[in-house]
Amino acid sequence: MGSKQIFLVDDDVIFRTASSILLKQNLPDYGSVPFENGEEVCDALLALTQSKESLPELMFLDINMPVMNGWEVLEELKTALPKICQDIKIYILTSSIAPEDMNLSKTYDFINGYITKPLTTNDIDNIKEVLE
Amino acid sequence: MKAYQENTLEGIAFPVITVNQTGDVCAISPSVSPFFKRNSKQRPTSINDLLPNYMAAFGGKLKAKDPLETTLPLFCDTGRKRWIKASAHPLNDGNGHIQILFEDVTQTKTRYDLALQAKTIAKVGSWTVDLTTNTLVWSSMTKRIHEVAQDFVPNLEKGINFYKEGTSRERIIAAVSDCIATGKSFDLELIIITAKGNEKWVRSIGHAEQINGKTIAFSGVFQDIDEAKRERLKYEALSERLKIGIDSANVGVWDFDLINNELFWDDKMYQLYGVDKEDFDAVYDAWERTIHPHDKERAAKEVTMAINGEKDFNTEFRILKKDGSMAIIHAEAKVFRDENGKPYRLIGANTDVTNIKQTDNRLRRLLNVTEKQNQRLLQFTNIVSHNLRSNSSNISMLAGMLDTDLSAGQQTEFIDMIKTSAERLDETIVQLNEIVKIQATDTSEMAPVGIKTTVEKVLQSVNALLLQADAKVNLDVDENLTVLGIKPYIQSVFMNLVTNSIKYKRPDVPVEISISAKVAKGKTMVKFKDNGLGIDLKKHGSKLFGMYKTFHNNKDAKGVGLFITKNHMEAMEGSIALESSVNEGTLFHLQFINQAN
Repeated sequence: MGSKQIFLVDDDVIFRTASSILLKQNLPDYGSVPFENGEEVCDALLALTQSKESLPELMFLDINMPVMNGWEVLEELKTALPKICQDIKIYILTSSIAPEDMNLSKTYDFINGYITKPLTTNDIDNIKEVLE
Repeated sequence: MKAYQENTLEGIAFPVITVNQTGDVCAISPSVSPFFKRNSKQRPTSINDLLPNYMAAFGGKLKAKDPLETTLPLFCDTGRKRWIKASAHPLNDGNGHIQILFEDVTQTKTRYDLALQAKTIAKVGSWTVDLTTNTLVWSSMTKRIHEVAQDFVPNLEKGINFYKEGTSRERIIAAVSDCIATGKSFDLELIIITAKGNEKWVRSIGHAEQINGKTIAFSGVFQDIDEAKRERLKYEALSERLKIGIDSANVGVWDFDLINNELFWDDKMYQLYGVDKEDFDAVYDAWERTIHPHDKERAAKEVTMAINGEKDFNTEFRILKKDGSMAIIHAEAKVFRDENGKPYRLIGANTDVTNIKQTDNRLRRLLNVTEKQNQRLLQFTNIVSHNLRSNSSNISMLAGMLDTDLSAGQQTEFIDMIKTSAERLDETIVQLNEIVKIQATDTSEMAPVGIKTTVEKVLQSVNALLLQADAKVNLDVDENLTVLGIKPYIQSVFMNLVTNSIKYKRPDVPVEISISAKVAKGKTMVKFKDNGLGIDLKKHGSKLFGMYKTFHNNKDAKGVGLFITKNHMEAMEGSIALESSVNEGTLFHLQFINQAN
């Protein structure tokens, strides 16, 4: 795996598998790291900040997840790890098209975008521009 | 002319004089001067010296035939008016002399005038029937009431014909006949039609005059009571209407005399409070005794506040009736104050609002349930769309990627993943269907379901799972206990709870489930207790029964079970609640109804 990492947070194993292949095809310099829920990714990020290892460039965050959902992750980041909010490009990647969710996402000014599933090469092309 | 000097009246002790036909005084008694307050030395020469207008009253010449009586005013030096009655009697002495006796009738006359005045104001007339001559005499007021001319000559028949045909005439005829036959008095309020055609209420009172048990005459008073009667009738109609209104509105009225601490209740109040009249001692405390202990202090305080003018009395309180039942009373009152603002009286109205309140509460509960159901349906649509979309988007994503250059191994993997997604999509749709079906449950299809047999059946069907988990189930439910419900729903509820207990068991602790039931107030409470992982209620409490919510890191959890269970329970008009602490287990309270509402 390359040094640049993408955190992929989603409880759906099929989606994780499919999208990591899609990302590899379109962003070959990046390696994707899967997380099943919000708690796992928060623990990982916390560990990274303490170990001074490099943070991921990009994070895709699902909303509907067991144990700790996407919103709870964002709240945690905002209060506990505000620096990360600036350093990582965060995208919400969800199947929810509910207006309530879209509106709620706008209240977090540090996130870079709201993508509705399925993830497409088009979406990845747009993200590429932001990364460069 | 006999010599006046002879004065034949010298020894008479009362005021009397003898005059000739032209009024010249012939003799005079000694008391005349003091009677007329005159100097006794100045002897009157003419009767006009004593009573100035006397001769004029008779046209200047007195007839010496019949006795004559007249009453004339006399103004004294002090300005006071006296009424003097002069009774003249011819002496028949051949000289045409007349003796005149004086009498002071001021007092009588004043009284008479006052009475006359009163009669005129009160529109009281009189009448007399002389049966010997068969004549009827009406006073002028009686004539005025009948609206006939003053020279009208009535007779008994004419008089009776003034009464309005029908009840009024029948009653007067009966009363008059009775009066004649037996001497019985009467006092009637009847309608006459006056000579001018006006309808009028009159009061006719008659008394018989009897000699030797035979009525020879009868007389009475006749009063125009039209205005008063009409007012009274109007008032009676009004109060009757009011009474009907109050009766049909189920309103009780009370009147509280603050000065004497006397409380008056109308009949409706006794009905509302379920109190017998004899049991109620008409004081404030008697009212307070009926009030529910929880509301007593507040209600009493509100009365005090109303009396003190701090707050209008408009409140609700519960009362306990004699038969032990409870009612909710809505009460309003008005405080009456004297000119100093001191309250002296409280009048109020009470209504029984128990039924309204109960309906209100039921509606509120229904609304509450409906609101919750709506909330869940909203959540349902959002989350279902999420689940449908996540699977369908997976399929479209995977299918799209099949076109790209994938290894043969990856291709197979993708096709497997598409299959899985399709299955999950199908499963979601099945769940959807299930939930829609529950929402559309018809409660009239509910029937008695035996709890014990149903649970036993569920346990049987998951026997393998129970054995595998080394589970022990204590089923402590009466054989005959039934609840009102839908059997497949109840099965599904217990199935879900049992499988959850196994799924969320504590590792290395054998599963133990206890099921017990208790009936209270037409409802059955079932306790379902396990010794599993428990749920962190602080963290998950609010979304416990939400759709697609999971609370453990269990990969099989789909977050549908409790959502469906809650829907099942509510569709059967029951409910579900739980107590739990992490690593100690979970206790579910299932409430079923025993009979239809």
